[in-house]
Amino acid sequence: MQHNIYLAGVGGQGVVRLSEIIAGYAMKKNEKVKFYKEIGLAQRGGPVHCEVRIGKVFGPRIPPLSSDVMVIMELSEVLKALELIKPKGMVILNRKRVYPIDMMVHPERYPKEEEILKLLKDAKAEIIWIDAEKIASKIGLPIAENIVLLGVLSFVSSFDKKCIIDVLRKNIPRKIDKNISAFNRGYEAVNPIR
Amino acid sequence: MKKLLTGNEAVAEGIIESGAEVVCGYPGTPSTEVIQTLLPQEKELGIHVEWSINEKVASEIAAAASWAGKRAIAIMKMSGLNVASDSLCSIIYSGCGGGLVVYVVDDPGAGAGMVEQDSRYYAKLGVAPMLDVSSQQESLDFVKLAFETSEEIGGPVFLRSTASISHVASNVEIGKRVKLKREAHFERNISKYTKPKASWCMNQHQDSLTRLTRASKIVDSKVNKMHLEEEYGVIASGAAWENFQEAVNRYNLKLSWLKIGIVNPLPEEKIKEFLKEIDRLLVLEELEPFIEEEVMRISFLSGKKIDILGKFDGTLSKMGNYSFKEVKDSLEALLKAKLELEQNPEIIERAEKLEVKRPTSFCVGCPHRGTYYAINRAIKKLKYKKGEIIVTGDIGCTILGMNKPFETCWTEVAMGASIGIAQGFKWAGIEKPVLATIGDSTFFHAGIPPLINAVYQNVPLTVIILDNGWTAMTGFEENPGTIPLKEADTVRVDIVEVCRGCGVKDVSVIDPYQSKEALDVIAEAIKHPGVSVLVSRRECSLQARRRRISLPKLKVNPDKCTGCRVCLSSLACPAMIFHPEDNKGLMEITSSCNGCGLCKDICPEEAIEVAKDAA
Repeated sequence: MQHNIYLAGVGGQGVVRLSEIIAGYAMKKNEKVKFYKEIGLAQRGGPVHCEVRIGKVFGPRIPPLSSDVMVIMELSEVLKALELIKPKGMVILNRKRVYPIDMMVHPERYPKEEEILKLLKDAKAEIIWIDAEKIASKIGLPIAENIVLLGVLSFVSSFDKKCIIDVLRKNIPRKIDKNISAFNRGYEAVNPIR
Repeated sequence: MKKLLTGNEAVAEGIIESGAEVVCGYPGTPSTEVIQTLLPQEKELGIHVEWSINEKVASEIAAAASWAGKRAIAIMKMSGLNVASDSLCSIIYSGCGGGLVVYVVDDPGAGAGMVEQDSRYYAKLGVAPMLDVSSQQESLDFVKLAFETSEEIGGPVFLRSTASISHVASNVEIGKRVKLKREAHFERNISKYTKPKASWCMNQHQDSLTRLTRASKIVDSKVNKMHLEEEYGVIASGAAWENFQEAVNRYNLKLSWLKIGIVNPLPEEKIKEFLKEIDRLLVLEELEPFIEEEVMRISFLSGKKIDILGKFDGTLSKMGNYSFKEVKDSLEALLKAKLELEQNPEIIERAEKLEVKRPTSFCVGCPHRGTYYAINRAIKKLKYKKGEIIVTGDIGCTILGMNKPFETCWTEVAMGASIGIAQGFKWAGIEKPVLATIGDSTFFHAGIPPLINAVYQNVPLTVIILDNGWTAMTGFEENPGTIPLKEADTVRVDIVEVCRGCGVKDVSVIDPYQSKEALDVIAEAIKHPGVSVLVSRRECSLQARRRRISLPKLKVNPDKCTGCRVCLSSLACPAMIFHPEDNKGLMEITSSCNGCGLCKDICPEEAIEVAKDAA
C-alpha cells in the first residue's frame, strides 16, 4: 500500500511546513516515508513543491499517475503536476492566485480557470475547491492557510485526527489554539463541499 | 530508534556516531546541510566544526587532523572537489592516521546550477576507494564504514552521494554516538609526507594501489548485494537503485540484480560471478557509464556474449537525475515488454503551454538590487548602451544580476572566476570597459589570486565586490567577512584591507541603498586607468531582518501614483503589487517591505513615501 501526496505553492505560503507535519505524522504512525522538497530559490519568489510518500515506497519521487492527493496552494502550480495525477485521485485546489511580476500588469495572461479545470477533468481528477485564506482569516490568523489545508487533507486521506493534531502542536511555534481551529475548520469544510 | 533524516542529516549523524573530531567544508548545494546540522552542536560534542574558506583548505585541515590521529572529514559539493583535488591527490598518496573521509555530493539534473559532473572519476584519478550511497540509511551506515575502512587500510576514503539522496528525507535507524577524544600525535616521516624524490612518490603510489585492493576486500560483502533469479539482470548503483526497487515492487518483476556500493575499485569478482548467470543486462547508473564501461571490459574478457543495455546503446541518458519513468522505460527495453500506461502526452503538453513561469529576482531589500541598478545607471551615465559593456558574474546570489530587470551579468564560470575571465577580455582587445562582479564569500574563496594578477599585470578593470556579509545563497553561512556574532571566537577579515593588501590603489566603499551616490562612484571607477575595486556593502536583508535590524517601511501615496510602474519594471521588488483593476492602475507596497528605499529614489512622481506609522 502506498499513499502519495503532492504539495505545491509559492515561497512564503508554508508548503514545506505543511509537508513536514505530514511526514512527521507518517513517522509517528511507524510508516516508511520518502519526503522530497524542491525549494530552490523560493524565498526569491519561485515555486515550491514537496512530495510526501508513505507506505511501501522506495523512490524519492511520485511515479506518473500515482498521486493519491494533491494540495495546490497556488492555483496555476497544479499545471506542473498533471503527469502525476492518479485517475480518481483527489486534487485540493486553493482559491489563490499569485502573479509573477510580468503578470501583475497583464493579469489576463494568467491561465483561465476553465482551462485548468478542463485539464484536471481530462486527467480524471476529483476536485475539491477551498478558500483557505478566507477560512484562516475568519479565525484571525490569515497566515494559517496551510493549516486549513492540512485539515482538508487529513479528512480526505483519513488521517488519525488526534495523532495529526499532536504532530501539529509540536511543529507550530506559537498561536497553537488558533492553528488547531484552522485545522478543524479545514477538516470540517470538506463534507459540504463534496 | 528511527528518525526522519535527509541524506545529508544522516551523514551528520554518521559523523557523530564515528567519533570524528574535526569536520570542515565549504557550503555548496547539495552538500551544505551536513555542517549546518553539526555546527550548532559543536560545543556540546566537543569537536571542531568549521566553514573553511574553500574546499582545498578544508581538505588540508582534515588531512592533517587525521595524520595527527583524529578521525576527520572534509565535505563539499562536486565543484568543490575540483578545488580540493590538488591537495587531495597528494594527501591520498601519503595516506592517513585516524580515519579520513571526503564526502562529496554530485548533482545530476543540475538542480542547483553548475555542471553535471560525475565525481566517481576522482576516485580513479586520485587512487582512493569510493563508496556510493543509494539511500538515506546508507548515508549514515556508509560514513561509519568509510571511517573504519580508512583506518584499516591507512588511507582516505571517498563517500559519494547525489542530490536526490542528500536532499530527500526518509526513516533512518540511529545508532550509538561515540566520543573518541584521541590524543594528537604526529610522527615525522618524510618519505611518507613529502614528495621530492621519484622513488618516494612511486612508493606512495604503490601504497595507494595496495590500499585500494584491501578496501575492496573489507567492504565487499557489506556494500555489494547480489540476487539471482532470471537470466535477465540489472546492475544498479547510487540513486537509480531506489527507483529500480520501486519498479520491481510495482510491477512484481522477476529479475536478477547486483547492487554495487563501492565504485572504486569495482567488485570485479562479483561482477564476473553475476555475468555468468545472465545473458541480458541493464546497467543503471546516473551520469557517465562509469560502471558500464568496466562491465563491458569484464564481459569481453569472460568471452561470454551478453547484451548490455545502458548509455552506449542509447537506452539511458548521460544527463539528468533519473525519474521513475526513465528507469521504467529502460526496464521495458531490458524485458522487451510494456509495463504501464502513462499520462496522456496531449494533457501534459496542454498543461506545459499554460504553466506560469516564475522568474527569480532578488529578495525584498536585497542589497544586490541596488548595486546592479547603480551599475546599469553608471554605464548609461558614461554614454554606453545597455549590452555594450561586458560584466562578468560569479557564483552565488550575485549572479541573479543576469536576470531581468537588470540583465547586467554576461558570464558565470566558477568560484572567483569573474575576475580572471574579465582580464582575458581585456587582453583579447575589448576596448570598452570590462567589469567583474563577485560576492564576499566567493571573493575570499578564490577571488584573491586573480585580483593580484590584475594588479600585477596592470589590467584596466573594475571589480565590484557585493559584500552582504554572508554566504547567503546556500543558507546564510558565515565567512571571514561576516559580522562577528555573539560568542564567536573568530576574527573578522575586512575585504577593503584585503584589496589594499593585494596592491589595489583605487578602493572605495559604496552603499547599495544609496544608489544615486553609488552610481557616481562606479562611473569614476570605470574611468580609472588601472584596477579599481568597489566594495558595495550592506548586510543580506534576510539576515539583517533575522537580527532585528529594521528600516522604516515605505508606502505609496495613491494621490501621486500614476500607475506608470517604473518602480516595478526597474526593480522587480517582491514587496510590490500592481493593481490594474483601478482605472489608472495603482502600486502597492506590501508589509514585507524592509525599507531599502530604492523605489523612493526611482519614482518619477515622488509618490513613494516613508510610512510614518511603521517608522
